[in-house]
Amino acid sequence: MSTQTIPSAVTPTLVARRRRGSNLPAGTRLRSMIAPYLFIFPGFVLYGLIMLYPTVQTVLLSFRDWQIAPGADSPWIGFDNYARAFADPVFLNSLVNAVVYTGVTVPLQIIIGLFLAVLLNSKLPGRVVFRVLFYLPVVTSWVVVSLLFRYIFSSDGGVANWFGHDVLHILTGDVAWFQGRWTALVAICALGVWKGVGWAMLIFLAALTGVPTELHEAAAIDGAGAFKRFWYVSLPMIRSSMAVVVILLIIGGFNVFISVLLMTGGGPGEETQVPLTYMYQQAFKFLDFGYGSSISFILTAIVLVISALQYWWTRRLARKAEN
Amino acid sequence: MKAAKITGAAVAVAALVALAGCSTSGSNAPTSGTLSGTVTFWHAYSADSPEVQTLEKTIIPAFEKLHPKVTVKDVAIPYDDLHQKLITAVAGDQLPDLVRSDIIWVPELANLGVLQPLDTTLSDFKTLADQTYPGSLATNKWKGHYYGLPLDTNTRVLMYNQAVLDKAGISTPPATMDELLADGPKLKAVGAYAYADSGASGWNVLPFIWSGGGDITNANVTKASGYMNSAKTEKVVQTLVDMYKSGYLPSLILGDTGGLSTSDGLANGTYATILDGPWMYPIFASQYPDFKLQDSAVPSGAKGSVSVVGGEDVVMTKSSKNKPAAEAFMKYLLSSDAQLAMAKVGQMPVLKGLGSKLTAINSYYSQFATQLETAKPRPATPAWTQIDTILQDDIRAAIKGDKTVKQAMDDAATQSDALLAKYSK
Repeated sequence: MSTQTIPSAVTPTLVARRRRGSNLPAGTRLRSMIAPYLFIFPGFVLYGLIMLYPTVQTVLLSFRDWQIAPGADSPWIGFDNYARAFADPVFLNSLVNAVVYTGVTVPLQIIIGLFLAVLLNSKLPGRVVFRVLFYLPVVTSWVVVSLLFRYIFSSDGGVANWFGHDVLHILTGDVAWFQGRWTALVAICALGVWKGVGWAMLIFLAALTGVPTELHEAAAIDGAGAFKRFWYVSLPMIRSSMAVVVILLIIGGFNVFISVLLMTGGGPGEETQVPLTYMYQQAFKFLDFGYGSSISFILTAIVLVISALQYWWTRRLARKAEN
Repeated sequence: MKAAKITGAAVAVAALVALAGCSTSGSNAPTSGTLSGTVTFWHAYSADSPEVQTLEKTIIPAFEKLHPKVTVKDVAIPYDDLHQKLITAVAGDQLPDLVRSDIIWVPELANLGVLQPLDTTLSDFKTLADQTYPGSLATNKWKGHYYGLPLDTNTRVLMYNQAVLDKAGISTPPATMDELLADGPKLKAVGAYAYADSGASGWNVLPFIWSGGGDITNANVTKASGYMNSAKTEKVVQTLVDMYKSGYLPSLILGDTGGLSTSDGLANGTYATILDGPWMYPIFASQYPDFKLQDSAVPSGAKGSVSVVGGEDVVMTKSSKNKPAAEAFMKYLLSSDAQLAMAKVGQMPVLKGLGSKLTAINSYYSQFATQLETAKPRPATPAWTQIDTILQDDIRAAIKGDKTVKQAMDDAATQSDALLAKYSK
């Protein structure tokens, strides 16, 4: 962070000095003032078109009883859609499911991802192969792996039942995973962790390679064991990566969609709905786009608040560490 | 522009006259070469089976031969995506000229005001409509107008595995609901389920509800209370609950997406009977060539054997820029040539007159033709997808034991009433 502030602190003085020295004509000065904006203009237009405009439209939608047909009257109903959401047991249930999914998958992805990163950061024979193998699930399509996990967890001849029953002997019989809310969530979470671990691993690996080996050597000379070196040397050095990973994983956790849609479709009986599948059902199946929009905004608000809290908390920790 | 409009109208009239003539005479050769332009047709014909091929290699070329200046651009969209694609197209005003729509979407699309009412657009609508099965035709009606024509139809019949029935000492498939119940313990003793289904939506449970004398809405589709929670409907649902609890019905009905599918289970002898449609014959033939699939009527109850009508309608959009050509193609799809071509690949024709030709193509059509005589369509309402979800969730809750049958059906009726009221104004 600190290395990045140096050039920006230097540039204005350089510009000012040059200005004073050469007495540039007004046009050039104007140009140098406009130039940066010209550079960000295309990006901003793109952002405005594909992010900002639809977002604002969706906010407006959420306050209407929106009718899909062009030209149809869509009455303004204020906060009715939001009030309806908080009285809707299925929606509240979907929030609980998203919290459970996030609460289970985020820590597991971080712990396993970090463990793999530390392992693959050491001089292991064939570590490139392992890095590729662990990262492979990240680049595969959600659709493909969701259907794959549906087969793995199928109650009839599924690999999960075979493994739990015939190999580990922890299951007493064939489990109908997708028939109950919690067993279905186990399958959905398993997919989330399996698919996400590689990504967390890659970020941690990149951060770990940035930790100077001198520090490790110095700690080793001081008598620190492998775990202590990891805990007191590596971990504090990768704190900023950790913060990014946590925030992005939490956002991803609340936004879980494709896997749920394809594995259970929110069933059985709406029990495994998560906010996005429920939003999708309301908007695209029932054509209630107003209600769907309000659901997506409640979700956005929740994710924003969590991210803000988390950001504030990591900043505080970092400041504490610096002091 | 004006001239173009007048020519267009003249062409339309010419086409109408030509087609009206042909539809009564039964020939399929309207040789009006004056139509021109492109007709875009969205459909969900299966690309896995020969359906798309028949459309693109047989039906469209034959039509284009009759109308050399017309080009039909067909777009195959997977069934699961078609509804969403249509909705997006409605919002974006990007609908094609013609759509092969699932019969349950027609009232919804009509209610959105994007469909052309055919009874006031086509001068020979009545002639065309009268050739088709009334149960299929009814699915096109919304608020007094017809917004489409039936294109293909189907229904569910009982399919059974005689080898399993034999093992349990049962000589004939269950002809009544009572027989199905009586078969339960015998089949359980040999490790099989008497009946299996993959859900509790209207498509799944209505054959039992209707056969048992129950219903889910009144005839005008304005009210569910008193129908969905009537004693007769509840009795049927109670039977399903009892069957599940006794182990005659697998958990698949609860929406266990990982369970053994009905077709695999029937073929491998885990399920003795299922209800399914005519498209299953080619699937069984290719996946289980050694399995002898047999069919009979839906087990009858107090009201006889009443199954549920499925199928597709063809609808014309209001936004179509080439209505005369679209109309000509629509009518061609209803011609006996096109209908028989599709019948060969598993799509049941909607023309009443094709009876014997049909069984000559595929002998299994006869059971479906008989079942269709009494089969009923699901309630025509834009709220159907929602009501269907409610019905499914509440029946599942009853089967699972989360609610009593009475609670479940009362809840479903109350929620459905509110939705129906929205559209009955």
